[in-house]
Amino acid sequence: MQQTRDDTRMQNDILSIFAESEGLNAKVFSLVRLKLLASLAALGPDGATYRELKAALDINDGVLFANLNVLKDMGYLTSEKITSEGKELELYTITPEGQAEWKRTRTWLCRFLRCGA
Amino acid sequence: MEENTDLAVPVPPLRSMTMEKYKKVIAFFKELGFRFDVSKFDDRLIAQKLVCLLDIRGIDLGYSCSLYVRGPYSPDLTLDLYAFTREFETLETGSRLTPQEKEVTGELGRIFGLKPVSLEVGATYGYYTLRQGSDPLEAVRQVKQLKPFYSEAQIALGVSKAKQFLFTPTEKDLEALKEETGIWQRASLTSLEHRDE
Repeated sequence: MQQTRDDTRMQNDILSIFAESEGLNAKVFSLVRLKLLASLAALGPDGATYRELKAALDINDGVLFANLNVLKDMGYLTSEKITSEGKELELYTITPEGQAEWKRTRTWLCRFLRCGA
Repeated sequence: MEENTDLAVPVPPLRSMTMEKYKKVIAFFKELGFRFDVSKFDDRLIAQKLVCLLDIRGIDLGYSCSLYVRGPYSPDLTLDLYAFTREFETLETGSRLTPQEKEVTGELGRIFGLKPVSLEVGATYGYYTLRQGSDPLEAVRQVKQLKPFYSEAQIALGVSKAKQFLFTPTEKDLEALKEETGIWQRASLTSLEHRDE
């Protein structure tokens, strides 16, 4: 009997957690995009260059470039050309909208996985 | 980077501690003659790697460095570089370095200068060896994996500088070195003796 009550409560909780997901952008939920948002959120306005993202996340050019562009198109990232040690590089930075979306996503994922957020 | 807004009771930031924290970093930059410009990517990189190298060396500036996509990095320092840009750019600080801190800063400047690549490679190598406990060969492999865009020569130089700055030879190291070079010293002395005969 107790077990049944707990199961019902859990299901209700799960449903309310599912309901909260309606405010999220489903297009963010791919492993590569989550990795990119998490990485760039930690660096804030400093950003990271394309070559740094490629090496650290071990993502091939096609996949990386395509996903960076999707996040840019959604307004979550910006890019600009910078010069470092005489070399021209592409720098990617998270926008305030990207930070907010990452925060919403992270909070929801923690609730979903019951890690205390 | 972000404050936890979910806390039930908001905790006010320790303002005086935060201020001391960034002012100390400015004092280090001043001692190194580092004219920081927040708009320059290389300057932001130099600032991060200087603080992380000092952190790894045991100088606690209150900005702990962890491994991010850009290598050893402190998001808290980034926040302060942008929050107190004017102070960092004009090197305005009320904080002073201790004689020991001045000595370490002198070493850091003499060994690395303000070269972004050497600082980045050196800090990354130091992080892998001293923070993560990787052996020297494994640490070099990890540096190459995280920074494949740097040449072998750039990595060798950065690693060599990191060893100079971060590792003080122990009695055991000196003994091993004596043993290793002793055979050559004895051989050269013998050879001199034979020449004199």
